[in-house]
Amino acid sequence: MSALAHGFRIDEEKCQGCLACMRVCPTHAIRVRQGRARYTPERCIDCGVCLSSCQWGAIAPTTSSVKDLCGFKFRVAIPSPVLFGQFPAGISPAHISQGLLMLGFDAVWDFAVEISLVDRAIKEYLENWKGPLPLISVACPVVVRLVQVAYPRMVDQLICIQPPREIAGREAKRRYSGELGIPRDQIAAIHITPCQAKTISILEPAERVESNLDGTLGISEVYNAIVASANTMKAEPEKPPKAVPIRSAALLRSCLGDGLSQVLAHHRYLHVTGISNITQVFDDIEKGRLRNVEFVEAHSCWSGCAGGNLTVANVYVTLSKMQSLLDRLPDMDRETLAEVERRYSTEDFGLGRPILPRPARGHSGNLSERVRAVREAEALLTKLPGLDCGLCGAPTCKEMAKDVSIGDALLSECIYHSNDLQRSRESKRIPKEK
Amino acid sequence: MESDVLLRKTFEVHGLDFDKAGETSAEVKAILSDIGMDPDIILRAGVVTFEAEMNVVMYAARATVIFTLTEEDLSIEVVDDGPGIPDIELALQEGYSTASDEMREMGFGYGMGLPNIKKTSDRFELGSEVGKGTRLLSVIHLNAK
Repeated sequence: MSALAHGFRIDEEKCQGCLACMRVCPTHAIRVRQGRARYTPERCIDCGVCLSSCQWGAIAPTTSSVKDLCGFKFRVAIPSPVLFGQFPAGISPAHISQGLLMLGFDAVWDFAVEISLVDRAIKEYLENWKGPLPLISVACPVVVRLVQVAYPRMVDQLICIQPPREIAGREAKRRYSGELGIPRDQIAAIHITPCQAKTISILEPAERVESNLDGTLGISEVYNAIVASANTMKAEPEKPPKAVPIRSAALLRSCLGDGLSQVLAHHRYLHVTGISNITQVFDDIEKGRLRNVEFVEAHSCWSGCAGGNLTVANVYVTLSKMQSLLDRLPDMDRETLAEVERRYSTEDFGLGRPILPRPARGHSGNLSERVRAVREAEALLTKLPGLDCGLCGAPTCKEMAKDVSIGDALLSECIYHSNDLQRSRESKRIPKEK
Repeated sequence: MESDVLLRKTFEVHGLDFDKAGETSAEVKAILSDIGMDPDIILRAGVVTFEAEMNVVMYAARATVIFTLTEEDLSIEVVDDGPGIPDIELALQEGYSTASDEMREMGFGYGMGLPNIKKTSDRFELGSEVGKGTRLLSVIHLNAK
C-alpha cells in the first residue's frame, strides 16, 4: 500500500525538535524522536495546526504552483469565497478576479450555483435518510478525516453529497470543453484555497474516487500578485477590469455560516467551528446525547474557512469584509436561480463511493495479543508520572504507554525512568518513590 | 465451555446522574477501539451500554456494569438495585415506557431502550425482582454468525 498523501511535509533539516507541533496535534499523530518531529500518516487528519505552531518554518504545506498550470490548454480558477474578504478596501471582487487572470488563469468561476445545488441536495438527502442521526457535512476535509480516524463508528453519518467545489470543477470542465472544443483533461480546474486540507482532498479523496479538481493554489500564494495587479489597474482608471465579479450574495453567504441554515430552517441543525469544539460535539454524538440533532456542519478552523492557515488577512476582518460585500450584492440573481432549477434535476451529487474508517496503527496480531498490548499499556501508565510533559517525545503519558506497549518507544525515554536521573537520584540519596 | 476471559472491567453507574450519562459507554467504546475491534462491534457494544446506562440513570439508585471480553464474544452485564420490572414482556415492547414527562423532555424515555438492547444483542437475558433490582445480560458475538 502506498503511503497516504498529506497536505504538508516536515523538513528534517529545519526541525529543532521543539515539541510545539507534537503538543498541538489533535489526533496525537506526531512524535519527536532523536530530536526530530515525525508523524504517523494514518493518524494525520491534515488540520494544519502543526503548520501554524512551527516557529522554525520546518512544516510546509503541499499545494500546486503556478508552474503546474502550464501543461493545460485552459485554466479555470475556482476561488474560495474567503478570497474576496482578504484584500484592503479599494480592491474589489472585479480587481481580484482580474488579478487571477493576470496570474495565468483563463477564467474565474463563481460557484454560487453549485453551493445552492449542494444545499438542496443535502436537504433532500436528509429528508430521505433512515440511518443514524445527525448527518455530518463533508465540506471540510479535516472533519471527514477526523471521523475516519477518531470516530470510525460514525463514518456512515458523513453525508454522501459532494462539496460544491467538486461540483464546480466538474461543471467548469464540462462547460468550457463544450464551448471551446477542448478535451476535458486539457482543462485545469484549480481551487484557490484557504487551507492545505483542500489540496489533500483533491490528491487523496477520502471516498477514493478521482477528484474533479486538478489542484490548489493557496490564497497566500496568489495574494501578492493580486494586490500588484489591482494597483496597476487602479493607476489606469481608463481600463477597468474585464473579469466577471461575483454575481450574488449566495457565494459569500456559505462562508458566513448562514447559507445552509436558511435551507435547513425547519431541521435541527448545528454549525460548529474549531477542532476542539468539534471533538466535544462528536464525543456527545458518540455518547448518544445529540439524538435530536439532524445535521452538523463542522469546520476545523475557528470561524470556518476564513480562519484557514493559507489565508493572509485577520479572520475577523475577513468576515466583516465579506459581510459588507454581501450586503451590497443581490441576494440571488435570476440567472443563478434559473441555472439551479435547470441543473438540479439532471445532475448527480453523490460521492460515488462511501467513506470508510481509516485503520489505526498498532493493531496487528490476533485479539489476545492486542488485548495484551492494551493491558500492558494500562499497567505502564501507572508507572508514568501523569504530567504529560512531552519530554519523552510523545504528547501524553497515555500515548507514551501505548507506544512502549507496541515497541515504538522505551520506558527509559521517560525522564522519570531515565538512567541518568536514576543515577543522580542515587548519588543524592533521594529515596525512590514506589 | 466458556472460553478464557481476555479482559474484564467493572464500572459504577449512579442514578439521576444525567450529567455523567454516557460516560461508561464512551469508556467501553474507547477500550474496544484501543484493541482495534471492528467498528460494527464497537457500535453495538456502545448502543447496549448506553441504553442500559440510561435505564439505570432514570430508574435505579446505582448499578454495576461488568464488561467481559473473550475470544468469542463480549458481554455486558448490568446489575442494579432499582425498583425492578413488574412485567418484563411489556417492558420489552417498543414504545412502552414509564418515564416521567421530565425525562421525556430531556429526550429520554421513549420506550426504545430495552427493545433496542435486545435487537442489538446476539444473546439477551433480563431478570428482575420488584423491589430488589434488575439484572440484564447482553452478549455480542465477535465473529458474525
